[in-house]
Amino acid sequence: MIENTKCECGHQNRVGTVLCEACGKPLFEVDSGEVLEMRYDGTARRSQRVNPNIIDKVWNFFSSVKVAIYLIIFTLIGSIFGTIFQQESNFVQVDASKFYKENYGTIGDIYYKLGLSHTYESWWFITLLVMIGASLIICSLDRVLPLYKALSKQKIRKHLQFLTRQKVVYQGPIEENAVEWVQRCAGPLKKKGYRVHIDGDALLAEKQRFSRWGPYVIHIGLIIFLLAVLFRGLPGLHLDKHYWFQEGEITRIPDTTFYLKNEKFRVEYYSEEEMSDDFKGTGKIVPKLFETKVVLYECTADCGDPSKIPVLEEVKRHAIQVNDPLSYKGLSAYQFDFDLTPKLRSVQPMLVDKTTGEQYGKFKLDMTNPLREFKLGPYTLELSNKFMDFSLNDQGQPISKSAKPNAPAFLFTIKGPGVPDTGGQYIYFPKQIDKERFQQDAINEKLGGLQNKLELDVLAMEDVDFSNSSSYLNIRIDRAMPFVWLGLGIVMLGLIMGFYWQHRRIWLRVDDTILTLGGHTTKNWFGMRREVSSFLQTMGVEVDEKSLDNGGNRP
Amino acid sequence: MSLLEFSKQAFVIGFYLYCVAFIFYVIAVTGKTWRNRDPQQHERKWGRISFTTSTLGLVSHLAYCGTRWAYSGHIPVSNMYEFMSFLSMMIMIAFTIVFLIYRKILLGMFAVPIAIIIMAYAAVFPQDVQPLIPSLKSIWLYIHVTLAAAGESFFAVGFVAGFMYLLRSIPFGENDKSTRRQKWWIEFTFFSIIILVGFIGSVFAFRAAGYEAVFTTNSTTIDNQVQQDSTIGKVVYKMPPIVAPYQSQSESVKSFLGMDKPLFEAPSWMAGVNAGRKLNTIVWSVISGSLLYGLIRLLIRKPIGKAVSPFLKGIAADDLDEISYRAIAIGFPIFTLGALVFAMIWAQQAWGRFWANDPKEVWALITWLFYSVYLHLRLSRGFQGRKASWLAVIGFLVVMFTLVGVNLVISGLHSYAGTD
Amino acid sequence: MGKARRPVQVVILLLIIILGGYAISTAVIGGGDGKPVIGDKPPAIKLLGLDGEVHTLNDYKGQAIVINFWATWCTYCVKEMPALQAQWEKWRDQGVVILGINTGEDEMTVRNFTEQMGVNFPVVFDSDNEAVRKYGVVPMPTTFFVNKNGKISSIHQGELNLESLNDQIRQLVNP
Repeated sequence: MIENTKCECGHQNRVGTVLCEACGKPLFEVDSGEVLEMRYDGTARRSQRVNPNIIDKVWNFFSSVKVAIYLIIFTLIGSIFGTIFQQESNFVQVDASKFYKENYGTIGDIYYKLGLSHTYESWWFITLLVMIGASLIICSLDRVLPLYKALSKQKIRKHLQFLTRQKVVYQGPIEENAVEWVQRCAGPLKKKGYRVHIDGDALLAEKQRFSRWGPYVIHIGLIIFLLAVLFRGLPGLHLDKHYWFQEGEITRIPDTTFYLKNEKFRVEYYSEEEMSDDFKGTGKIVPKLFETKVVLYECTADCGDPSKIPVLEEVKRHAIQVNDPLSYKGLSAYQFDFDLTPKLRSVQPMLVDKTTGEQYGKFKLDMTNPLREFKLGPYTLELSNKFMDFSLNDQGQPISKSAKPNAPAFLFTIKGPGVPDTGGQYIYFPKQIDKERFQQDAINEKLGGLQNKLELDVLAMEDVDFSNSSSYLNIRIDRAMPFVWLGLGIVMLGLIMGFYWQHRRIWLRVDDTILTLGGHTTKNWFGMRREVSSFLQTMGVEVDEKSLDNGGNRP
Repeated sequence: MSLLEFSKQAFVIGFYLYCVAFIFYVIAVTGKTWRNRDPQQHERKWGRISFTTSTLGLVSHLAYCGTRWAYSGHIPVSNMYEFMSFLSMMIMIAFTIVFLIYRKILLGMFAVPIAIIIMAYAAVFPQDVQPLIPSLKSIWLYIHVTLAAAGESFFAVGFVAGFMYLLRSIPFGENDKSTRRQKWWIEFTFFSIIILVGFIGSVFAFRAAGYEAVFTTNSTTIDNQVQQDSTIGKVVYKMPPIVAPYQSQSESVKSFLGMDKPLFEAPSWMAGVNAGRKLNTIVWSVISGSLLYGLIRLLIRKPIGKAVSPFLKGIAADDLDEISYRAIAIGFPIFTLGALVFAMIWAQQAWGRFWANDPKEVWALITWLFYSVYLHLRLSRGFQGRKASWLAVIGFLVVMFTLVGVNLVISGLHSYAGTD
Repeated sequence: MGKARRPVQVVILLLIIILGGYAISTAVIGGGDGKPVIGDKPPAIKLLGLDGEVHTLNDYKGQAIVINFWATWCTYCVKEMPALQAQWEKWRDQGVVILGINTGEDEMTVRNFTEQMGVNFPVVFDSDNEAVRKYGVVPMPTTFFVNKNGKISSIHQGELNLESLNDQIRQLVNP
């Protein structure tokens, strides 16, 4: 069916037009007195065509606000599912297939099997987001262009019915000459911030049209945000790892050219004086500060080559705290956890002659990569083996239980005066507790009895080097973040444009001595009525605010 | 008097001033029909008195907030007590703003009691000033929480106006299917609010009486199929135990009206640490709320909705619809900024992830999605009046679940201490 | 807009399909946790060997590689060492390499151990545990069998004995 879309004013309208694009005369429901539907100023939406093909159909589907609302509702309900139990992404290194059954019982198991334990990464949730994105783009395009055209070519003189069927309407007699009266209107309206266009005895006053673009600006922002969120996982854009950084050590950050040194970690707790009287009674201990002082180095040469020592250049120093991460060129490091277990790094024992008490000298014994030979006085100590976590296996042989220096032991071959030429074996436990636990003397007795003649002993505390703690940092690179913030910024701009300003228009025409006024605003009719009534008052027309209401709010 | 003492006093004074203001608002609205009175003059006079009183209450409430802030050195929004009292303060501010725009006294009769209830609810939680943990030490705590609460309080005003619209426009005399259903839901909304009052009332009543009952629970967890790990826990009830914790022995139970042992035990699936106590609290709330509701019904001899609706005759339904929409439209950008945008910026700074799918975050998003549905329906599908008002009512329910329900039912990164 | 309309529509819909399709398909495939599975290429490594040379997997291109993660403190690793050494001697002429990746120990410990055990297949140091992370190794020992086409053909967690190792390697050489 081909509808007749030609208006009586002679303008040819497109299919789907509600109000004539030129004079505003309603093309449907001509006789009803209902308030006009002013969405998109009554123009045809882009998608409204006579014979839709498949592309049109898809386009029409996504251009429908109804569909958009359903999509939002589905996303809303889907999101609720994800909050019923903990999400997998919120815990690290737990076997999810058992976790849900053990913690939440059968319901938890069903929850896991339905894939709800990773709701927000599931295909259907992402599909919903993509569809919302499509809807945002197509809905906006479909409306913003016709609206833009309609608003930029507004006719000043509108059809009488267009005016009387607005939501704010006034009709009444005026005494003066029509053209002069209309001319006189311009002043007070301009004072209220309106831009006034006059065409003889008709007038159009308009302000804050930009607020009309608010919703579309919001949608553009949301599209950018969604794109950034959906594609920030692209390879190379994203890194999110947690690593331990031992105090005092320079640690390489894998997959980057950076090295990080944990200079000092500290944790502070609130003292009693800092707590309120009520709170002291609870006996709780509350942490006040977690801080890792770090130095970031960038490798400038010999980086990927494990046979060479990399050349490092210091690029940044920072005290990382919760809420104050280190950031450098898109790389960020966040305080995540810490471990206060001290770790032995090196000792400097003294070689002592047990019979004379003579001291032959100190040497530095590193736990990792120690030197192999030490010369002390007349003696040569050759390190022949080391065990980081000393233990004896079933056959009574020394082994190391792990690579951690929990119970380090060092086996030396000592040569020198009073020792056989082939050298004597001597085992040394730097930690006092291990000496007793593993009976250092008894082992040395078996090895040849050197313990009666020589002894390795740490004489002072400063000869022991501990790393006090290690700090667990979250290392992140997220190249999409600027787009996330940009998108959100645009959303906020659009929200403020659209919600805190209103596009207001007042049409006037005088037919003989009868003034007809129609007013339209996108929001806040209360304010609009107040403005119109105050404007009419300055023009000498007394009218009650409420009486301007042409209804339309009624259900 | 220390700052903290002063602050506590100001809280109490603010609370009572709100209560008095509420009574004045009721007088202002209902007194119009009293004899020997010029209705307009009465309304103007009492409207002024009640608005002054509620503003004084707000001033006192602000004084509470300011002095507590000065004492603790951080904005008082770091635990449930502080946040809830802050929220009720923001609701009063939002109400004051909307009142100054529209000058509708009736709004006070409905908005002030909501603020009172939330303020009383705040007082249920432990009130000690807690030191701030490192992750909360950020300027974003101030901005995020303040703006989120501001946005939510405008939603609260939107709810109040929407609910009033419903009371105003539903024909209580008629009896067709749709009206019956709506009347039922109106009554249900009242009932829910009264349950909340019942909950607060019973907490304070038993607290004043110093009631306590102690249970020991013995929970056995099996690790690695071999090792049995049994832990003995202690659960302290502050209300007489109708429901005992699952698999527990009573250690000491004070007698209440001759009741000295629990009537039931919580079902096995409620084996969580405090699940039994929470269930008991809910049972008590429903009992006392129902009693209160029954008492009210007995006094007025008709559904509350029907009893209240005549007082709303003096206000145009359109205006209420407009106020509800306006409040939500003002609140929406603020909420977006405070509860989502600034929350993301803070999360990015504190944890390196702007979005962590934490239940509280997701529920803030759900709230946002809900109100965007509301706005789309309103702007594009012509949802106005009754439908829009119902959405405003449900919307506030979503807000309250986000603020309270998530903490009670699900917890996550935002877990505040001391939830009952 | 009139005429330009259709192409614009088509372009936008295509963009949505491509971008959306990519987003959804990564969700379906589930970006994974990066751990290599059977059929994958083994992650690239560049580690210092006991011989002082830098070793990469490219050095063994065209050969079948048995990548064994081990440490001296891991009992089962120690137990399977003789089997690995025996198979190395048996298969090395047929284009099979056994590559031992030592996890986080220092040169002295490893050298003493290999000398004591008589191990002479290539051993490299993974001092920062980088290879462990890339290969997602949890229990030790873990052994990856890489065929001559450079694809992982099987992954074995736990101790290997002489026969099972022999079978696995035979499958690598004569698939």
